[in-house]
Amino acid sequence: MTATLGVPMKRKEDPRFIRGKGRYLDDIVLPNMLYLALVHSPYPHARIKSIDKSAALAVTGVKAVITGEDLNAAKLEWLPTFHGFDKQMVLAFGKVLYQYQEVAGVIAETREAAADAAELVEVEYEPLDPVVDPFESMKDAVILRDDREEKTNHIYHWEVGKRDETDAALAASPVRIKERIVAPRCHPAPLEPCGAIADMNTATGRLTVYLTSQAPHVHRTAFSLVTGIPEDKIHIISPDVGGGFGNKVPVYPGYVVATVASVILGIPVKWVESRTENLTTTGFARDYHMDVELGATTDGKLTALKVSTVADHGAFDAAADPRKYPAGMFGIVTGSYVFPAAFAQVDAYFTNKPPGGIAYRCSFRVTEAAYAIERAMDILASELKMDPVELRSLNFIKNEQFPFATPLGFVYDSGDYETTMRKALSLIGYDDLRKEQAEKRQRGDLMGIGVSTFTEVVGAGPGKHFDILGIKMFDSAEIRIHPTGAGIVRAGTRHQGQGHETTWAQIVGEELGLDPQDLLVEEGDTDTAPYGLGTYASRSTPVAGAALALAARRVREKARKIAAHLLEASEDDVEWKDYKFSLKGVPGKAVTMKEVAFAAYTNPAPDSEPGLEATYYYDPPNMTFPFGTYVAVVDIDRETGAVDVRRFLAVDDCGTIINPMIVEGQVHGGLTEGYAIAFMQEIKYDEAGNNLNTNFTEYLVPTALESPSWETARTVTPSPHHPLGAKGVGESPNVGSPQAFVNAVMDALSPLGVRHIDMPLTREKVWQAIRGATA
Amino acid sequence: MNLQFSGNEVISRSKTDVWNFVNDSNSVAPCLPDVIDYQIKDEHHFDATVGVAVGPVRGKFKFKIEIDPQSDGEHVNLNISGGALGSVVDVAADADITGDTTSTALDWNATASVRGPVATVGGRVLQTQAQRIIGATFSNIKTQLSNRTTAS
Repeated sequence: MTATLGVPMKRKEDPRFIRGKGRYLDDIVLPNMLYLALVHSPYPHARIKSIDKSAALAVTGVKAVITGEDLNAAKLEWLPTFHGFDKQMVLAFGKVLYQYQEVAGVIAETREAAADAAELVEVEYEPLDPVVDPFESMKDAVILRDDREEKTNHIYHWEVGKRDETDAALAASPVRIKERIVAPRCHPAPLEPCGAIADMNTATGRLTVYLTSQAPHVHRTAFSLVTGIPEDKIHIISPDVGGGFGNKVPVYPGYVVATVASVILGIPVKWVESRTENLTTTGFARDYHMDVELGATTDGKLTALKVSTVADHGAFDAAADPRKYPAGMFGIVTGSYVFPAAFAQVDAYFTNKPPGGIAYRCSFRVTEAAYAIERAMDILASELKMDPVELRSLNFIKNEQFPFATPLGFVYDSGDYETTMRKALSLIGYDDLRKEQAEKRQRGDLMGIGVSTFTEVVGAGPGKHFDILGIKMFDSAEIRIHPTGAGIVRAGTRHQGQGHETTWAQIVGEELGLDPQDLLVEEGDTDTAPYGLGTYASRSTPVAGAALALAARRVREKARKIAAHLLEASEDDVEWKDYKFSLKGVPGKAVTMKEVAFAAYTNPAPDSEPGLEATYYYDPPNMTFPFGTYVAVVDIDRETGAVDVRRFLAVDDCGTIINPMIVEGQVHGGLTEGYAIAFMQEIKYDEAGNNLNTNFTEYLVPTALESPSWETARTVTPSPHHPLGAKGVGESPNVGSPQAFVNAVMDALSPLGVRHIDMPLTREKVWQAIRGATA
Repeated sequence: MNLQFSGNEVISRSKTDVWNFVNDSNSVAPCLPDVIDYQIKDEHHFDATVGVAVGPVRGKFKFKIEIDPQSDGEHVNLNISGGALGSVVDVAADADITGDTTSTALDWNATASVRGPVATVGGRVLQTQAQRIIGATFSNIKTQLSNRTTAS
């Protein structure tokens, strides 16, 4: 037996995926199953005057048409949002509050009949003036939510840090910069859209729901709260999931309507949304408008940071942020730097846009924060006429300062920022690139180098701080070792491409000296997996990964008793060494875990119960804080505004690595997403509240043709509080890369006097900036 | 999404003939391009089903049309509202009718308010398509009137 941790083992799940044997939601067909199609509002803001179902009900095969009034009568008209601050309509009643809001559901024998009949549901609207700009919303000229007692569009004010101290420090700073930095609304657009099959067994009274879910147990609890069905009567199964990125965390109206229909009809009902439905109604990301102020001394030492943010939450506050932190972990905005004073505040507003604000790798506003500070650092460097790398180095939190308490409340676990940055600069050839740039600028060429030295926060979370629906954000693992030494490993997480079937087996294999190939990993079934909070926000390895390691160690402790029995020795004389139990001081006298497993069922120790299994619920003592240095090199065509990302290097430090090949894959995927956010993607609305990006011709997803060729490297700074030292990596490339791209473009345009352009940096925007600067 | 259009047609018919034509549902309804079916409600109101193809959005749109003649005898408003496939289109058109016994000018303006999937494709093809549809309506009015002229 050799080490399994840190080995680039091929993914156990891939053979079934690449052979087309994955089982996604839409692959599931149940006997007599019906289909649900939803009717959506074309108006972003309108009163519903009437809904006429008659033509739809006359379509052959249609079984039912459900409206908001029907749900109202059944007291199922509202969904609770995860943090409990707000509630969300299932189907609109009274008013529609955003374009494409769900207004009715048609259930029919075929998907086609349901879609055709949905077209025939006649809804009479009285259009109202829409509010699509949060800065207009804050004026309260139109109050969007009639249902709330508070007659204002303001949702919450949240702040952290010391306002007066920060204001004073900024006022006293010899150098100050202030910039409005916008993280525009975007969408994760998973290749598989959301869907559900609700199957109410009227004989047993048990509801089975197949669901595209990143958090099946939380969904079970939410379904129970919404429907009133006891939780033991609800079985959630999350089959293979084709990408999530936070989009598959919330409960969506389609899930509830399919469930209501199945409960009423006693027949399975399937709902699978279209691409347009996915882009227009499900959890978006960002929409943060951040005013960032930095203060510094003339030699570049940071003195203060202040960030004031206006957040556009859409029609309902349906973000999945924990109760205590309505703006999530935005406090990470101090980044990798020492600030003597800092203050951040967020004010959120309703608008006539869909709710969400939780998705696209980093539901907790870490991406927005990292973007703000890393852009601001470059703007400050420009103001100081300093190399942005040297400004960062001057202000890094130093190794000896860890654990480091930031002025905004986080305690960073570990870091070695200088080493990681210097490795990146060396690998990319930073000094040579700067020389090349200087030569090109002499010729008028636009070449830019952008650096991002980000720190992020993942692994939600300590239960004392973070919850969903009041449930502490722990996670769980259960390990059962069979007599032959094979086993089954279950966790409260649910992978959507992260490779848990491999990495979880590697963790348990490492801890128990068993072959990961012999360990079956199972997630996503609430009847069998232990309760967990799910997979999102890079929390799986920091939380469930720790639970797995600690559950395995519990198994090992029991195994030690059995090993002592087999070795006819005292437990104290048995040690776990080189992946087997050995008798101290007696070379060659040892038993393997496989032998122990067999004995656990055939020859257990006299004072222990048979079997070999354990469960662990892990509540982490702190978050983990992965970091990295990313460098982008771009060339810009002056005539067209086209940006060519010539090179991109990502040096990540995510602590101990379970499987470097999977980490590499995670980084490649996240960088491609970051590239898309920086250059391509935005969910835009016109002044009338029309969503202008409702399909893949208008909302662009990069292919291999557009994506740069990624270069990657790693440093390893283990987390001191994680049992394996792991920190998590899924979100790092998405968190760390957009600002590297933007910094590179701004660096290229800096000779023209261009200071900032908001993402996405489309050719048109860049071309206009060049034209504006040279006109 | 609000779109604005305008156009002009010169018709070799008297102002009275043009005025009478545009104030008659039976005359105007067939002038809608790609009209599949229509039902006349009264002299100034009719419903029409029109085949619409705007980029990837293709289907039968159902419209309610109101002809609203102004008392000055030189101005007529045309209000069109309807939609399909989750889209809503409202068009407010007006035409100034000036001329004499042999020639009449039809100067028209239209504002279209578009919501839903049709609006999504707006930035690319909607302006052109909407201009074509509305322009064709007035062009067809001219053709129909001209044909009557020829026939008479």
